[in-house]
Amino acid sequence: MRAYRALLRKDLLLEWRGRELVPAMLAFVLGAMVLVRFGLGGETLAGGTRAATGLLWVVVVFTSMLALVRSFAQEREHGIWDGLLSTPADRSAIWAARATATFLFLALTQAVALPLFWLFFLQEGRSPSIPVLVAALLLADLGVAMLGSLLAGLATHVRAREVLLPVMFLPFMLPLVTVAVRLTVDTISPQTSGLHTSQGLGFLALYDTIFGLLGWALFEYVVED
Amino acid sequence: MSSSDPAVRCDAVSRRYGERLALDRVSLQVQPGERVLLTGGNGAGKTTLLRMLATLLRPHEGTVTVAGHPLPREARRVRPLIGYLGHEPLVYPGLTAGENLELYAALHGAPAARVVEALELVGLERRRGGVASELSRGMRQRLALARAVLHRPQILLLDEPTTGLDDDGRERLRGLLASHEGTALISTHEPEWFAPLGVRSVQLAEGQLA
Repeated sequence: MRAYRALLRKDLLLEWRGRELVPAMLAFVLGAMVLVRFGLGGETLAGGTRAATGLLWVVVVFTSMLALVRSFAQEREHGIWDGLLSTPADRSAIWAARATATFLFLALTQAVALPLFWLFFLQEGRSPSIPVLVAALLLADLGVAMLGSLLAGLATHVRAREVLLPVMFLPFMLPLVTVAVRLTVDTISPQTSGLHTSQGLGFLALYDTIFGLLGWALFEYVVED
Repeated sequence: MSSSDPAVRCDAVSRRYGERLALDRVSLQVQPGERVLLTGGNGAGKTTLLRMLATLLRPHEGTVTVAGHPLPREARRVRPLIGYLGHEPLVYPGLTAGENLELYAALHGAPAARVVEALELVGLERRRGGVASELSRGMRQRLALARAVLHRPQILLLDEPTTGLDDDGRERLRGLLASHEGTALISTHEPEWFAPLGVRSVQLAEGQLA
């Protein structure tokens, strides 16, 4: 636990001082939302709740890609893997700290994305059920962060990692985005998606559990020679 | 480790990088408390051997034991016993010297108080709050030394430790090695500098013992 706390503190301190990742993620979210909003000629997506929520989740996934491609960048660029891996610390702590930091960065970005989504794309009078939507976003962020950190560790020693990581990561996002979009649609127009809220949240929790266990168990084999 | 176990034992160890044979059937035994210099030209296999003993690389052929523990099977038991200094300082450039050592103390399960001791040992106590990227090359090497000895390891694995060190840094390194009661394997291009420490030299050439 001490190793996990120290590694997480390190990740947060480095981001606080370097401000490399979160500003880029915020700029991407803002840019994507504004671009589509003006691309649509300033209209809300009348009758297009599913399309609007689809856009929100595509932005979530691609924002997470920004964070994941930079995962373990310092360790790679400065050879710090040798330092970390020559210590007796549990390798799972490295993964868990990275996943937690990514989760926090994603949650922070969505604190900006959600109001923009509401403002730009939802028809007047329509508002999502905030507790369910926030729960869905946080559960999805957790899954993205845990799976993404495992795959980022896997890709860290590969030369073409910027290409390989999305190729490995995006197929795993398909079930998550499919359920998350239906769940989000339901928070805006109840009982239109055919998916019960508890079913959707339950699926996201199961997804998190599976990739949490996989990350915890496999990270050692992913980063060691 | 029982009293009869060598600190390091390599039996016909080989390691490849793709087609290139970096270590070719190297056999070596180092007794507890012994200091061994690994010498040889660039690409001789010194770094590969040290990284293997630091549990970072696994042998492709042959057997390696450290303190009686075979690698890589018992790497978890070996890691608390070793202090590894690599070519790179292995510290985060955006963290201060103190923060880097606090991180490594946590990873080694060492008391936080060791951070101050380690900084004093290498003469960096007044640079504790200095960001690593703003330290000079020599200062970063001192920080790397502090990181390697922070948890008081039994076996030091030092890859060209004199690199970038000024006279004061070199004297501190000499003092550190003189007071170290455990084993040390040191790769270097300056064997004469280490001679007063009573070392045994082992020369590698193109992956083989010369």
